[in-house]
Amino acid sequence: MRYLLLIYADERAQADVSPDQIERLMKDWWEYEGWLRETGWHRAGEALQPIATGTTVRVRDGQTLTTDGPFAETKEQLGGFYLIECDDLDQAIEAAARLPAAPYGSIEIRPIQEFEVPEPGS
Amino acid sequence: MKFALLIYGDEGSWEALSDEGRAQMYAQHEAFGSWLEESGYDRGGEELHPSDRAKTVRADGERITVSDGPFAETKEQLGGLYLIECPSIDDAVEAARRLPAQIVEVRPIVGSEERPD
Repeated sequence: MRYLLLIYADERAQADVSPDQIERLMKDWWEYEGWLRETGWHRAGEALQPIATGTTVRVRDGQTLTTDGPFAETKEQLGGFYLIECDDLDQAIEAAARLPAAPYGSIEIRPIQEFEVPEPGS
Repeated sequence: MKFALLIYGDEGSWEALSDEGRAQMYAQHEAFGSWLEESGYDRGGEELHPSDRAKTVRADGERITVSDGPFAETKEQLGGLYLIECPSIDDAVEAARRLPAQIVEVRPIVGSEERPD
C-alpha cells in the first residue's frame, strides 16, 4: 500500500528557533530519512517553503484568479510530505509517529488512489 | 525551481459526479499529464483517497494519538498533488491554471542547496 504522510506544523513556532536548534532538528530529519530508506518504504519526500511564498489559483468562468498565500488559514500549515510504500496502515502510523515533526505537529496519513494501467493496445 | 501543485476541492461534488463525469475528469488529468511531460515539467503526481480514509498522528512525548479523518476540517480537502520543475513561479501558476481543479495551491519546494548540512 502507498501512503502520503502530510506534515503539518505551526510555522511561527519554528521561526523562533536558534541556529543550534535548527542544526539538531536537521540531524533528526536526516536520521529519520535514513531509517525510512533502510525500511525500504521511502518513495519520495519534499520540504515546502513557508506558506507566505505560496500562490493559490482558482479558475472561474474561464478567468484565472490568483491570491498570495495558502488556500486556507490554519493554525498549522503543510510544511512537507513523504510518499511511502509499506504493508499496511499500522506501518504507515509507525512511520508517521517517528517523524521529527510528530511531537510538535500533526501528520495526516492519506492512502494513495491506485489505478489499473491498461495494457498497451487493449 | 520545483513546485508542489496542491489540488483542493469539495469532495461532495466529486462524489456527486456520474461515471461519465468522472471519466471526463480523468481524461482532463491525462491531457494535463501529457502537457506536463511535453513541457518537461513533470516530476510526479498522485491522487489521494477521500479524507474520510485519512488518519492523523500526533506524538506527545512517548504518547502517540491516532485519530480518524484529516488534520483539519475544511470545506475543500486535499485530493492530490503534482510535482513540477519549471523556470519560475509564473510558469507554475500557468500549469496550475490548466488543471481541472477548483483550487490549486502552488508551493515552492525547498531545494537541497537551501538546507543546512
